[in-house]
Order: sequence, then C-alpha cells, then structure tokens
Amino acid sequence: MTKAAKVMVPAIKVTRLHKTFNCCKALDGVSLDINPGEMVALIGASGSGKSTLLRHVAGLAVGDSSAQGGSIEVMGRPVQARGRLASDIRATRARIGFVFQQFNLVGRLPVMTNVLTGSLGRLPSWRSLTGLFPLEDRERAFDALTRVGISETAWQRASTLSGGQQQRAAIARTLVQRAEIILADEPIASLDPESSRRVMETLATINAEDKTTVVVCLHQVDFAIRYCPRTIALKKGQIVFDGASSDLTPSALRDLYGAEADELSAPIQGSASFITDTALAVAG
Amino acid sequence: MNTAIDTARLSPPPRQSLVKLLAWGVIFATLAWSWSGAEIRPMALITDGANMGTFLADFFPPNFHDWRYYLEEMVITLHIAIWGTALAVVCAVPFGLLCAENVAPAWINQPVRRMMDSCRAINEMVFAMLFVVAVGLGPFAGVLALFVHTTGILAKLFSEAVEAIDPRPVEGIRATGANLLEEIVYGIIPQVMPLWISYSLYRFESNVRSATVVGMVGAGGIGVVLWEIIRGFYFAETCAVMLIIIATVSIIDIASSRLRKLFI
Repeated sequence: MTKAAKVMVPAIKVTRLHKTFNCCKALDGVSLDINPGEMVALIGASGSGKSTLLRHVAGLAVGDSSAQGGSIEVMGRPVQARGRLASDIRATRARIGFVFQQFNLVGRLPVMTNVLTGSLGRLPSWRSLTGLFPLEDRERAFDALTRVGISETAWQRASTLSGGQQQRAAIARTLVQRAEIILADEPIASLDPESSRRVMETLATINAEDKTTVVVCLHQVDFAIRYCPRTIALKKGQIVFDGASSDLTPSALRDLYGAEADELSAPIQGSASFITDTALAVAG
Repeated sequence: MNTAIDTARLSPPPRQSLVKLLAWGVIFATLAWSWSGAEIRPMALITDGANMGTFLADFFPPNFHDWRYYLEEMVITLHIAIWGTALAVVCAVPFGLLCAENVAPAWINQPVRRMMDSCRAINEMVFAMLFVVAVGLGPFAGVLALFVHTTGILAKLFSEAVEAIDPRPVEGIRATGANLLEEIVYGIIPQVMPLWISYSLYRFESNVRSATVVGMVGAGGIGVVLWEIIRGFYFAETCAVMLIIIATVSIIDIASSRLRKLFI
C-alpha cells in the first residue's frame, strides 16, 4: 500500500509549518503527508497544537511568515506558503469539509439550509444570494441527512437539535460539499459517549464508502485506536509519533507524554473498559 | 472588640462613600450652573397662573368640526413615516455592515461611521427645512428628512448587532468555500435578523412622532395643519388635532411593541 501511495499526490502535505502566538510556539516545524483515502487521528493534550494545525490546513489561520517553508498543499493545490493564503483559497476550501467542536451551524436557519450551505462554493452568486438552490443540490442535501440518520429534522431550526444531531448535520454539510477531505476538529469533545460513538462511526463509514480522506483531532486515544488506522501525536507543537494506532499502548503513551498521558487515555465510557471495571470492583 | 470589627465590615469602605458623595455634588453643581442660562423662574407659574387658566380653558371643548381633514392629514403623516423608515432600513443594511468592525476593515468602517454620525447629529427638523428648500414644500421633503436621519441611527444600531454575533457559524460557512457576501447572507444576517426587525419597528414608532413635527416647517402632513391653527389661535381645533395625534401615536406604539416582542 505504501508503494502505491508514494506515486499519488498526497491529500495533505504540510512542510515545516511554524505558528507563534503572542506568548508561545503553537506549531514548531510540523511536516506531514497524508494520502488520499486515509483515516488519521491527530492526538495530543490540550494546547499541543492539534486544532491549530487543522485550522491551518483548511486555510482558516495562517502560519508564521518568517519561517523558511511553512507551506501547506491540499490535493496538490497550495493553501498557504510563508504566512500568506493562496489567492484561490476559496476554491480549495470548497474541497475540504470542516467539522467543528461546537458544530458551527447557524442556529436560526433550518437544518436543511445549513446543510445546503455546503454547495455555496460551486453555486453562481445569483443562486446562492437569493437562496434558490438547484433541485439537484436539495436532493443531495436530503440524501446526506438520510445518510447521517437525521432526515426527520430537515425543516427544524438547527438550534433545536441535540449536540449529536447537530454534529451529524455538520457532517452532512461536508457531504453536500462533496468534500474530498474532511477535517474534524474535536468533533466529539462536546458530546455524550453514545453520540460520540455515532459521530465517529459516521465519519468512518464516509471514509470507507466514499474514500474520503478523514483527519480527526481527538484527545481520547481509545477512539483513535478504534476508528483510525494511523495516528499522529503532537506535543508542544511538534510531532512525537506518527504510525499505526495499534502501537499506542499505555506504556508507549507514558513514554511520549509522561503525566499528560492520563488526560489522553481516559477510557471510552460504557465500553466495559478493563481499568474502570477493576477500579469499580475495588471501590465496591 | 469583635463587635467593632463586625460593624466596620457591614458598612461600605470609606472610599466608596466618598465617591458617592462626590457624584451627588457634581450633579447638584451642574443643575445650579444651568439655572440662570435656562432662565428658570418658578414664580412665573404662580403669578401667571390666572392667564394660563384662561389659555387652557380656550382648548376645551375640542372642536372636531373638520375631523375628516385632520384624519386625512394624519394618514399622510403615517405615509411619510412609512416611507422614511422603509428607505432608511434599506440603506442602513449595507451601511450598518460597512460600519461593523468584524465585516469591514478600519479604512472603510471609520469613514462610513463618521458619515453616519453626521446623519444622526443633525435633527430631522433641520433636514426638513433644508429639503423643503431643495424639493419644495410637501410630504416628500419630510420623507427625505426622516430617511437621512433614521439611516444614521439604524446603521449604528445594525452594526452594533453585527459586532455582537457569534463568529463560529460564520467560520462554518467560510469553511465551505463561500465568499464574503455568502458569509454575510448565511452566517450573519440570520443571527441579527430579530434585532434588526425590532430596531426598525422601534424607529418606525419614533418616526410617526417625528413626522407630526416635520410638517411644522412645511414638510407635509398633520404638522402643517397644527402649525397653521396654532398661529391662528384656534385652540379648540388645536386640541382636536393634538388628541388625534395622541391617539394615533399610542395605537402605533402599542401595536409595534407587541409586534417587536414576537421577534425577540
């Protein structure tokens, strides 16, 4: 598989990306390649730079300009280089679906309209500004809602949905977008365990069926191991691990993160984890 | 000893009391300073009491003989307010967006803000006098006066609503590859719509009140009638017109505040 992957244009290529906020370095020379069709977890404690990295890939933030290199390419098209966004960034963004921790839906608009905004990138302005979405896009939006399992909420206001439903609507938006890459920034951090499982399963299904590249930020290693074959681990803005998720044993995590490992290895609730069961047995 | 500590804790710290005292001092000093300039003569109310009584008696009973004419002019006043507000709302949308820090860069929003400031700073009566000269006597001058003044006010209110939005949904729209106008239409406008509608209705209410006075400088409507009968000392008729204005303004106020509650 790796041989085939080398001939392909990488879905995401980040080269020596640096990002400094007022006080500290958020990204410190990050370089990585992700191939089309991969499902990759990006893990790290809070403040490790994983969300920052994802936002840079979508062109929602720009890296340091002084750094030599500091470029990002998506599907062979430049997103940014030396702290400047590419001039055709909107066309590239249209190919990247972004799923946010706080869903970022427009609460007062119907779910259907929120999902239809996925097609804005390819519609002529007279259609998008008047809200006259073509029938084809409306069908696509409804199919996307059916696929993520919330078609019955199509004409409700997005704010009336539960967190898990809102996140699935946000995923449906990327389906209408026909995104070739889905970047999910902590998509399950604000959700209960059951909704988290459904959202991760939806992403895994889209990855398997549509061959969409999925990169998902997580801070629970259990989810990474269960749903993503490959994991990239960040610590203080640097990549400290890039390989098979199955290699991330508790001892490997402790080596990488020391005391921070506890934050990352919090077990998935309700999944009969050995550690919690033992703890309960001892406590009982 | 314990009780002494407790009472000290129960009264505010001395600095706070001092500030409070100072604030009251400033208020009274300001009032005293303005006394002579405003020629406040409370005794006049007592010495001229008898005259005022006679004057007031002239107003009653109100003379509704020409009520059809008064009502017609009142409806024209409403028409002036409707058009003045409608044009202002249409212009305040783009100007309000251009005034907002989170939409337009400083080199655009600062000049636009100053322009809106000047629209707001000049009272609609002054604009009415100018427009009467420009487009002639009549309601259209009133419409233009209300339009310019209200645009200044609504643009400021609209831009404040835009600056208070949640930026996350807008970023969600941006991430789909949308352009700036699409971000505004799908990300910003749905969020500010309830406030915008509420502000517009409130300004319509105020404009009905203002439209009754712009007529006094010849800009059409009931104000023209009011000005003529006051100048002619027809106080019974004046009373009738004032009652009609009070009734109309009250009805509009109640209806519009009911309507506004629906949108918040």
